[in-house]
Parts: sequence; structure tokens; C-alpha cells
Amino acid sequence: MSVTNLLDNWAEVRHFHPIDDKPHDPYKWAMSIDLDACIGCNACAVACYAENNLPVVGREKFQHGQVMHWMRIERYWNEDDREFPDQGAEFLPMMCQQCEAAPCETVCPVGATNHTQDGLNSQIYNRCIGSRYCSANCPYKVRYFNWYDYPTTDNVWPAEMNYQLNPDVTVRGKGVMEKCTFCVQRLRAAEVTAKGEGRIVREGEVQTACQQSCPTNAISFGNLVDPESRVYKQWKAQQVDLAKDEQEKDKQEGGSDLRGYRILEDLRTYPSVMYLERVRESAV
Amino acid sequence: MHRYLRFPAMLACFLMAVTCHAATDQPLTTEDALGPQIQQPIEFPHYRHAGNRNPVDPTNSDPTKGGMEINCQYCHTYARRSLTAGIPPLQKCIGCHQNIPTVRDKPRIVELFKYWDAKKAIPWKKVHDLPDFVRFNHERHIKRFIEQQGRPVQEVCGYCHGQVKEMTTARRQKPITMGWCRSCHMKDHVVVVANKDGIPEGGTPLGKQDYWYTFQKPAEKRNAAGELTAKGPNDCWLCHK
Repeated sequence: MSVTNLLDNWAEVRHFHPIDDKPHDPYKWAMSIDLDACIGCNACAVACYAENNLPVVGREKFQHGQVMHWMRIERYWNEDDREFPDQGAEFLPMMCQQCEAAPCETVCPVGATNHTQDGLNSQIYNRCIGSRYCSANCPYKVRYFNWYDYPTTDNVWPAEMNYQLNPDVTVRGKGVMEKCTFCVQRLRAAEVTAKGEGRIVREGEVQTACQQSCPTNAISFGNLVDPESRVYKQWKAQQVDLAKDEQEKDKQEGGSDLRGYRILEDLRTYPSVMYLERVRESAV
Repeated sequence: MHRYLRFPAMLACFLMAVTCHAATDQPLTTEDALGPQIQQPIEFPHYRHAGNRNPVDPTNSDPTKGGMEINCQYCHTYARRSLTAGIPPLQKCIGCHQNIPTVRDKPRIVELFKYWDAKKAIPWKKVHDLPDFVRFNHERHIKRFIEQQGRPVQEVCGYCHGQVKEMTTARRQKPITMGWCRSCHMKDHVVVVANKDGIPEGGTPLGKQDYWYTFQKPAEKRNAAGELTAKGPNDCWLCHK
């Protein structure tokens, strides 16, 4: 460790969304979620609990806002003067958007959340000191803080459920922040296998837990750099560009008929998740 | 000391400390880094299995006069295909030793067969025990150094594990701290244009791309001799997740 190294590394760590000299290559993990296909069944959230060792906190702590669901289904009501307002329920799966210029990264006092080379927003539990600044700065409110030392303080994995804990994922301790990782343990395993074979990860070789469990295939996940991937095709078809804070299609008069959009794009966070807007009855 | 001198003095001390620190290239391996000597159920002689053959007469394969030069990966077989190197199952020991009657009555072998007859696994203790939040990947390092670059197995394993072939039961030889890992990953390693398979060495070989996973393209960085260099992966999420 020398001063030069320190400064070099700092500049690298703080390198933000892709620019011409350093494009994402060969990986940029991204997602697209078709809200028209989403039926709000919560299977993705359950799968996330199982895959990522999330504690089941119970009703009381949920009401205190101490729930740890990395993947949550947000529910909105679009009543539209319906006869039965319940028909107007709309669902939106919300998880860490893995922003390219993430507001959480710049404010972490200890550099516990960084950008990885394959376009993920990493969260390093053993480095985190629990300042919660990242959560305060996150526009999507998808970061969750461990207020308790599970499972010692609370029986969050009742008998035998402890056997289903995923050994590839750390069980987080008290006082650290956590969030959706795009199932990084699976990504890394696939990347290492591919690297050993001298190729890149093929489309369909790696799935996130939420994608795997979605009964309607609303979630697709893959490598945005790979033109063969489903995610790439969807982003392309919807004319959503990762490196833009306002899409060309939205600039034209009257907007666009395309369904693809990213949440709070104008905050210039450059999120990696594209949503496909629900097709409304009124539009059909 | 005068009050107005205090700050400049402190500053001078700080600068000196920084300069001295910058001069050291790599964390030193001290006696403290060796870790405790761990008592194993059987004092397994690594030197006998993996050690060099008789140095005086290399053609002499008499095990009493030297090691057997068994490949580390014969027993630690998971190293090349998973995160962990693995401890061989008892079957592996017996698989050879049931055919070696000459050492059958040696105390350690007698002990070994006691476990075998009792159908019990040997409760080996972990020597290189990383914290639970660290997931070091053996496979990746074996693939790179042994398979891609063709370096000798014992040398490659020795980067982290020391000269195990001279030990009985293994003892930690390197600090195995994050700073120590990084001291290698931070170096500018020379990118050899091609290895035996025509694959560029310094990152990973995907098409024309001679870097992978690193921020720095080798083309942007050259050492004094004008050779391309690249650093190892610099990504927290490779080990901590």
C-alpha cells in the first residue's frame, strides 16, 4: 500500500456509470419486469427470503418498519371509476435498482457500498458500520437495516428452517445495512465457471431467485452487453438506454406508446431495472 | 515544546510515517502470522506424502529416505473445481494404505485404521480458517496459475499455504488477511501476450480482450520496460457476499 496506490484505487472505486473509455464489458447485469404479467402473487419475495437468508420478523416488527424484504410488492390502486374498485389493484415489484450512479454509494462514510465492474451496487456487510446514510439517500427506499442480531434475539428461522439457510450468503449481524444483490452469489458462481472455460456467461445460464420463481415470467434478467440476451432485446425494443437520464422516445411530442420506463429516471441514478408499464383497460 | 511548534512537528511525524509506510511493498510475514499450532487427531506427515524425493539420490523412491511427491490435488481434489480445497475422505487414505503393508504397523497408520474399522471420519481441525464472511475461491486460482500458466502445483499452493511439503500437520505460514491478499491483487502483473495455448495472461482471455474484471485495460498501463501490465480483480463482492 502506497499513497499512489491509495489515490489510484480511490479513483477507481468512485468510478460511476459507464462512459466511453470504460464501458461495461463483458458484463452488465440488468433486469426488466413486465408489470402487465405481474399478478402480485409474492412468489418472488418468498424466493428472495429463501435464497438470501432474510429473517422473518413477524407482524409487530413489520409495523415498526423493521421488515427485511429485499424484494417487496408495492400495491397501488387505480380505480378508474370501476364498479368494483378492487379490480384496480396494480402491483410493482420493488428491489434495489442497482443504479449506475447510485446515491447510496457516494455517501457511505466507509466505502461499504461500491460499484462493481459488472454493474452491480455492492454491499459489503463486514465493512458497514451502520451509519444508515445510504438508506437515507436512497430514492427507492430499498435498503434495510438490521436492528436486531438475528437469529439470537428472535426466532426468525424456527426449528428446521435453519437447515434451509443458504451457505453461500452471509447471515447478517446487527447494525449492518443490507439490500437486494441481484443474487450475486449465483452470478459469481456462473462467472467463475465461465471464466474457467474461457467464455462469458451464456444467456439463461444464471437466474435470480425472483426470476426463477415467477409463475408468469414477468421478470427477466441477464447481461445487457450480450445482444443475444432477452434483457438486451427488451431494453432495445423499448428504446430504453442505460446511460440516459431522459429517453429519446419520451422527448417526442405526446410521449411514446412503448411501455418501457425506469423509476425516477430523472434523478440521474441510471437504474438497471426497466419496468414495462401495465396495459390499462382504457388504453385497449 | 512551544505550542506553535506542535502542529508542524506532528505534521512532520505524519509525513515521515507515510513515507516509511509507502516504502514497504508487502505486509511482512512475522512469527505472529503463523497462527496457533493446531493439534490434529493424527499428526499427518505432509512431508512424507508431498515432500521431495531423496535429495541425495532423486531416483530413490524409498519413502523412508524422502517424500513421495504426491500432487496436492490428489487428496485436496476439490480445489480445482470449487471454492474450498477440501479434506480427503478416509476412504482416500485407506485406498492407498491398504496396499502398503510395509507401514501398516506404524503408530499413525494403526490409528488411521482404528477410525476405518470404527467407520468414523477423522475429526481434522481447520488450519486456514477464514471468517464466515470471506469466500475465497480456490478454483479460480488453480485455473489461472496451474492450468493456464502451467506453473508447478506445489509452488502455486505455496503462495498462500507455504512449504506444506516440509511440514507434518499444516500450520498457517502466511497472514491470510485481506491486506495480504490485496498486496498481490494490487500489483501490476506483466501481461504475457500469450501462454502455451495462445491465451493472453494478465486478465482473462475472452476474444481480443486482454483484461477482464479489472478497471484497467492493460493497454493503458505499461511498466518501465514498456510491457503491458494489469492488476488482479478489485471487487469486494468476489469474496464478501
